[in-house]
Amino acid sequence: MGDLYTTINTASTIFANNILSKPEFFIGILVFIGYMLLGKPIYEAFGGFIKAAVGMMIWNVGAGGLVSTFRPILAGLNDRFQLNAAVIDPYFGLNAASEAIKMIGMSLSWTMISLMVGFGWNILLVLLRKYTKLRTLFLTGHIMIQQATTCTWIVFCAIPELRNFSGALWIGLLVGTYWSVFSNLTVEPTEELTENAGFAIGHQQMFWVWLTSKIAHKFGSPDSSVENVKMPKWLTVFNDNVIATGTLMLIFFGTIMAILGEPYMRSIDKAGFPATLAFATYILAKSLSFSVYLFILISGVRMFVSELTESFRGISEKILPGALPAVDCAATYGFSSPNTVLFGFIFGCIGQFIAIAGLFIFKAPIMIITGFVPVFFDNATVAVFANKFGGARAAAILPFCTGITQVMGGAIAAWYFELYKYGGWHGNIDWDTLWPAIGFIMKNLSIPGLILVIVMMLLIPQLQYRRSTNKEQYFRVTDEGGL
Amino acid sequence: MIKVVAACGNGMGSSQIIKMKIAKVFKKMGIEATIDHMSVGEAKSAAAGYDVVFCSASLVDNFKVKNNRTKIVGLVNLLSEAEIEAKIIEENIK
Repeated sequence: MGDLYTTINTASTIFANNILSKPEFFIGILVFIGYMLLGKPIYEAFGGFIKAAVGMMIWNVGAGGLVSTFRPILAGLNDRFQLNAAVIDPYFGLNAASEAIKMIGMSLSWTMISLMVGFGWNILLVLLRKYTKLRTLFLTGHIMIQQATTCTWIVFCAIPELRNFSGALWIGLLVGTYWSVFSNLTVEPTEELTENAGFAIGHQQMFWVWLTSKIAHKFGSPDSSVENVKMPKWLTVFNDNVIATGTLMLIFFGTIMAILGEPYMRSIDKAGFPATLAFATYILAKSLSFSVYLFILISGVRMFVSELTESFRGISEKILPGALPAVDCAATYGFSSPNTVLFGFIFGCIGQFIAIAGLFIFKAPIMIITGFVPVFFDNATVAVFANKFGGARAAAILPFCTGITQVMGGAIAAWYFELYKYGGWHGNIDWDTLWPAIGFIMKNLSIPGLILVIVMMLLIPQLQYRRSTNKEQYFRVTDEGGL
Repeated sequence: MIKVVAACGNGMGSSQIIKMKIAKVFKKMGIEATIDHMSVGEAKSAAAGYDVVFCSASLVDNFKVKNNRTKIVGLVNLLSEAEIEAKIIEENIK
């Protein structure tokens, strides 16, 4: 008996030291197992392992670059103005949360366990739809990675006694409940927008989409739609994520470095700022290097998310054929004019910029930097739904308010969850409103608070079902779209 | 064998949905294709090297390819196999 115990103990130590502490191999093995379970040939499973592992290692290169470019600027702001800066963007947030998780001596493999548990829990809740009233399966892989990571940090931060295996399970249940419940909440508005295209939204602003669909009619009439508004042609360049990100980084980091001043930057970045280089060139190069590392990070995430999503889709096709998939919010953009997307982006930007100026004027200890993903995708999505239910006026007012809320909520969240230390916060609107509230409950009530949150979320579809006017339609399986 | 790219805003979510759906439709129609997915920003520079670019109808205006090879196909419902099949026939892709 003693020998067996020792063997198991040694094996689990080797596993913990070599696999769990190396998330790239952990995720690779998960993908490998997923492919084998789907009955794919072994060479494809091997390919999946390599691409998942390499993808995650590329992500690490991008993350490392972002951190090292960011650190002197963060330190400078703190040193000279006692200011902390955080970029509100899910990739910067992913970076910050990962750094924070590593700093408390935990591995990112825990977030992968939570991710798997959350996915399994979502499947189970939909299998039991007769009782749970949940219909949608969350399939947006990159969002699941980001949210599982941020959620892991929120729980680790709020409830330190859950920094272990049982914590990873609880986090999985928590984030899986959010995926199931809130994507389910978007079914009706999305069906109405798309005339039953057969999908729901599985993204970062699900609560906000539902809210928008409920209040948009108060702000205008659907008759005066954005389609009739003429937008300047130059705005379309911001559809290009490289241009949009580069521009935002240049505006924000350029301003920050200009304020910190040439002598200061020269003193803290001797290697990167040789005497022969002009300050303007330095600013341009430094600001754009944020975009460079961001794109390296994103292409790494993309590589391994493709493998993960492939496995997820295969598994769900087998277990839940015909289930309603919850997908990327951009899937709704085709159902509105291209105008609407840019309309939301512009008004969201105005809202964010005003709020950031407000933080500055009132000397808030946290300074927020606009990230591309929330300001573009959240506000475009809000505009698409606002336009459908309340026309052009709602599509201007609601993204504007969303922009303000993103900055204010993001500043509070970055401070509350202490991620300003790592310069980023998730930043999408649900994570600036709903999740800080969830974190607040957990921080004050600990594990009972976590359970309370899960139970309260699970009550939402019950109310939704009770209020639905056509109960037979509620579980209708779509023939268009679908998995 | 044709070369196809699916594009979306950030090259993550919806481009992969399109990719999975068009792969299914191509298989059904017996068309052989390699399919990549990327962001609009990247696809703009790479488009000329592909036979077809699939993207959301709202993003079609971003692509201005001047050759006889590349077709730009905008989709309203990214998840509709029926719509994808209709577009493939309409654009005479094979």
